[in-house]
Amino acid sequence: MILLSKQLLDDLERPGGVQRALQKAIELEHATLPAYLYSLYSLGDSNVEIAGLMLSVIMEEMLHFAIACNTLNAIGGSPDIDKPDFIPIYPGHLPGGVDESLCVHLRRFSKEHVHKTFMSIEEPEDPLHFPLLAVADTNHVTIGEYYTRIEKRIADLGEGIFTGDPGRQVVGGFPPDEIFPITGVASATKGIELIKQQGEGTTTSPLDPEKQLAHYYRFAEIWHGNQLVRVKDAPPGTPDDQKLNYDGPPIPFDEAKVLPIVDDPKSSKYPPTSQAHYLNDNFNYAYTSLLKALHRTFNGHPSELDSAIAVMHSMRELAMEMMTVPFANGENAGPSFEYQPVNK
Amino acid sequence: MSYLNSLRLNFFGKFQAAVSTVNNDPAHFNNATFKPSYQKMEDGKHANGWWNPRGDANWRMIGCNITSAWLSDGQPAAGSDPVLTYLIADSDWSVAAKLVDLDPEQQGVSEIWGMEIRIADSSGNTLMRAKYKTAGFMDIFMRWPSGSGDGSAGAMYQSVLTDIQWGQIDNSPFLQQLQQASSAGLLSIKFNVDAFDANYQSPTFTLGRIAGTIGPATAAEPHHFVIGRHFMTTSLPQPGFFLPAGNVNFCEAVVDEKACKLYLDLGNSLPTTTMGGPFTDLSVLSVACATVDANNQTQILVPLGDVDYLASGWYEKTAGVVALPADRKLTAAELTTIAANQLLIQLTAPNAPPKPAIWESPGGLYIRPDRFVFRLNPGESAEIRLFGSQYGQPYPGARVISFLDASGIGGNLPVGVPEDVLEFPRTVVLNEFGQAKVQVSAGNPRNPRGYIDGQVYGIRCVLEDTLPPALQYPFNPSEFVSLLVWDEFVADPPVWYGCLQPVFQQYANLYPLMSRFVDLSSYESVSDPNNVIPLTITFGLDPHDPNSMPVTRDLSGGKRKAILQWLANPGPNGKPLLGTPPVSPPAALETAEANLAPAMVDRQSLGKVAFYKRVASARSTRRKL
Repeated sequence: MILLSKQLLDDLERPGGVQRALQKAIELEHATLPAYLYSLYSLGDSNVEIAGLMLSVIMEEMLHFAIACNTLNAIGGSPDIDKPDFIPIYPGHLPGGVDESLCVHLRRFSKEHVHKTFMSIEEPEDPLHFPLLAVADTNHVTIGEYYTRIEKRIADLGEGIFTGDPGRQVVGGFPPDEIFPITGVASATKGIELIKQQGEGTTTSPLDPEKQLAHYYRFAEIWHGNQLVRVKDAPPGTPDDQKLNYDGPPIPFDEAKVLPIVDDPKSSKYPPTSQAHYLNDNFNYAYTSLLKALHRTFNGHPSELDSAIAVMHSMRELAMEMMTVPFANGENAGPSFEYQPVNK
Repeated sequence: MSYLNSLRLNFFGKFQAAVSTVNNDPAHFNNATFKPSYQKMEDGKHANGWWNPRGDANWRMIGCNITSAWLSDGQPAAGSDPVLTYLIADSDWSVAAKLVDLDPEQQGVSEIWGMEIRIADSSGNTLMRAKYKTAGFMDIFMRWPSGSGDGSAGAMYQSVLTDIQWGQIDNSPFLQQLQQASSAGLLSIKFNVDAFDANYQSPTFTLGRIAGTIGPATAAEPHHFVIGRHFMTTSLPQPGFFLPAGNVNFCEAVVDEKACKLYLDLGNSLPTTTMGGPFTDLSVLSVACATVDANNQTQILVPLGDVDYLASGWYEKTAGVVALPADRKLTAAELTTIAANQLLIQLTAPNAPPKPAIWESPGGLYIRPDRFVFRLNPGESAEIRLFGSQYGQPYPGARVISFLDASGIGGNLPVGVPEDVLEFPRTVVLNEFGQAKVQVSAGNPRNPRGYIDGQVYGIRCVLEDTLPPALQYPFNPSEFVSLLVWDEFVADPPVWYGCLQPVFQQYANLYPLMSRFVDLSSYESVSDPNNVIPLTITFGLDPHDPNSMPVTRDLSGGKRKAILQWLANPGPNGKPLLGTPPVSPPAALETAEANLAPAMVDRQSLGKVAFYKRVASARSTRRKL
């Protein structure tokens, strides 16, 4: 799992701490997306069931991003999305991550990458089917625990902190029971609970409130190659972690169809007059435009959301153009997800 | 006032036009004869979907550095002015602009839709942000005469920037002057494009070269051309792109009587030796004014200056715009002569007398429509704004004759018919400002082209004074108004079978890229709840929004209304209405499919050049003026 420095919790108690924490949460929710998207893109139009599972996780991360932005706006803050260091460096740690924490790479899809990286990112505090982690780790917190603490701090501070302009709340793109205006402690709590349950599930069930598998378990299904299903006729009193098993219908995987894109591409590595360079510039410019569009949307222009979503869709096309272009050593080019505010 | 004045900046870089090419061949619009191979890349033996079947129609500005800036007094901006480190960029918060042809039978006015233009620094800070008014290209010609294919062509775009917002420009005296000059809320922008790479195996595939100018604009001036002095020429006979007889293409100039300078724009006029490469050495290029000695009636040429077009970096720095004479002001006598006499551009080879390359229009007479591309539903009308001038001054009282002219369109299916679909006055008279409006009303074409909706027309508006054959007025073949008039389409209620299915099928055929988002040929896909909402949004957008669907902007009002109504009014099962499946396959509707694919596929022949060749070969059968 991703472990965050405990100092983040200490900061929560200081003035402005909740706002800073929510900004950190916004950055965290975004930080996994380039890695997930890079692997998803490498599937091209193939392996549709796996692609569907990955896309569903990605969509929910975006929802969590929006909820965190709405919450920050609700308490009078301003999400800071349009800045070069909003994007993590790949390979590298997620924002707030400590050195022992997982190093995230941009890699083409493989089950190993899903297991080693994606499942680690999403691993809950107390995942079912896996041994409990050592408890005596007092220097680090999980993302889930971070959210729990933010939620508690908001509740402690009370309704009085909700000074933000309601006109900055963004809705749309998701059903109204998932994305809703954050106006007070109750809605803030509801939003954060949704983030936690969609991401990690609960301690007794891998399902979130919509009865969908939490992210960790969706990745686990991909890894195991079978759907997670209830054990038939489990007797009452069966421990939670034995009520479910990865014995369901198989999830097909055609490895040969994965596009052989390079690991951790960088713009500087593509020769300046190469096709890969031009295509990568177009991609990064579109990606940076997405960050700018989201910044605008979540800073007082909620009606720009549709336009931002359109930019996001255009990124996939630009990635697809790149990924059949040979680069080096039998591998193809891949989009480098770098901050590029002008198309040079 | 326009970009062609003292206060201006120039930029130079690349553009991208990732056009989709399945729709280049009108025969591909026929659902009944469509083949899957039409969605594939050409393979050297078969044209298939030509050279970019999966194009997304995106238009981008890439690496467009500002290379020079000139202040109102004619002096260059200080070397320390930060504007010289800025770029001309497109939108940094929306999808790319779109390049759109009017119709497969009119591919000669490709318009840029939904473009935002910014002046930005290299960190992405925006100093100016504005909307680019949709415009089609003009004056296409054979820029690289020894080339072939679309890479041999050059063309220009002129338009205005609106909805201008300024950022932190305190550090740039140039930008402050430009802001003050844009008090009408407009800026003038003109750029030249050439060296388009249509080779899908090239690293610069879909990229081309762009050089342009931004300057002030006034509300009274046309948006898409300059009121000034227009140099006009004829083409050498050849199929394909216009090839200027004197080596220099159409160009324009403005006389600034206050600054005592002639501003000449050669940006879309000079040939190159290679694609996007150095200018051909045409020898010394100079501008003169031809007057007649009052005593002996001989011609006197008043020299106005040379243009140093062969200097290294000239085009990058100037985009072809020069102020003449370079080193002095025009005298009062020269200004008087210029105001009433023809200008010309001459070429002087070593040890040879000067030879005219291109003359100003005879009698200095000139008229042009401002906006020249229209899409009309039956019952709608278009307003053609005309500006007529003589030696750059308004030409009031002149009669303008307007007539149908399909000589610049078509080449496959019959175009410009039935003629009674468009109603417009044959004659208008220019007012005291040299302006007139021609109102064109559209009826219902009644599906003359069968598998292509509606009909495409050309209307030419000429000064009556330019008609006498003795004048030999060199009418510009691309200077006419193009109109697409859609068929009436009524569906009550709209359903899938036999109604909207053929519409969606045609889009699915012509734009294979769409299949990544939604399979437009499949009811299941189109009616999928996940697709209904995005389709409703995108089909309901203003066409000026870069997200507007269809990208091609060729969907009639009737069909659009039907689609939105169909999506918004599901049947009892919660899905859009299916209707009744046809009992037998629909009858083939229309004219025989013309085989337009070249018999031996020469890669270079696939592209806009194919359209111009078709038009040229059809021209001989058309009714002439």
